[in-house]
Amino acid sequence: MAEGRRDGEQRSFFIARAPRAQAPGIGPVILFSAGGVRFAVEATQVQEVLGGDERTTRLKPKVTAPLDFALQVGLGAGILERVLVLKPGDCALAVTGVERMAAIPRLTALPGIFRGMERSWYRGLLLLENEVVPLIRTEYWRKLGAELEARHG
Amino acid sequence: MVELERYVTFPLAGKQFALHSSQVQELLMPAPLYWFPHTMHSVLGVLMRRGKVVPVCDLGQVFGVPEEVSFYVVARVNYFGRVEEVALPVDGLCQLVQGDSSPLSEPEPFVSGRLVTGNTSVPLLDLDRVVEHCIQPVAQAATEATR
Repeated sequence: MAEGRRDGEQRSFFIARAPRAQAPGIGPVILFSAGGVRFAVEATQVQEVLGGDERTTRLKPKVTAPLDFALQVGLGAGILERVLVLKPGDCALAVTGVERMAAIPRLTALPGIFRGMERSWYRGLLLLENEVVPLIRTEYWRKLGAELEARHG
Repeated sequence: MVELERYVTFPLAGKQFALHSSQVQELLMPAPLYWFPHTMHSVLGVLMRRGKVVPVCDLGQVFGVPEEVSFYVVARVNYFGRVEEVALPVDGLCQLVQGDSSPLSEPEPFVSGRLVTGNTSVPLLDLDRVVEHCIQPVAQAATEATR
């Protein structure tokens, strides 16, 4: 009996002690790819998506030069075929492709062990159809766009 | 009579180590590893575990690279004052054993003591220290390397 109780303790020890992740719901997201990696941006933060040809003709004068997203996150210069214009329309991210929208994914915080630039780049991680996709922090990218524009004109 | 405590033993690059069972959350079979761009040296990616993401830490710079991942040991570490879960890839059998800990006669790097079980003695991994040593932002690691 005592042995059985010990076995039970061992089993419960290894099976499930983890609390459920805090997973606040967020609105729909747009999945995009850059440098061969998938990312997400909240749809409510995107003003428009432009094709590669459109970006030179349709970007409004107040929009800063599109940031090469893959390059900024250390993936090397990316193939730039789409431009995501972030609201209110003064910052644009050049990416490889815009894939689709996903509705109400679960957002989980970036584990605390990540304490470098990724804390600025991402708002958290989306748990999406057995995939983990970083959700970008749009306020950081807007600020970076403005800083680079101010520096380089 | 001395109450024996429980420990989990596991191999890292072929050498046996032990952690107190209270520090180990679970053992995971090899699972898909998700990677995204980041700046943390020795973080291989994350595992998805019951709705949580767990970073996978490569301790290869200290212990050598495992030949093949047999399990992930998910353990709690105190990382710069915060308790975090990390997964360690191990390359062999993990066991839950009972034993007693003894202090080190001579300091060993990243070892906090010895687990004595039967006739064998296994180093107790100082996981907090080894994770703090290995897991650093790349820029910081480069700075420390040049000091």
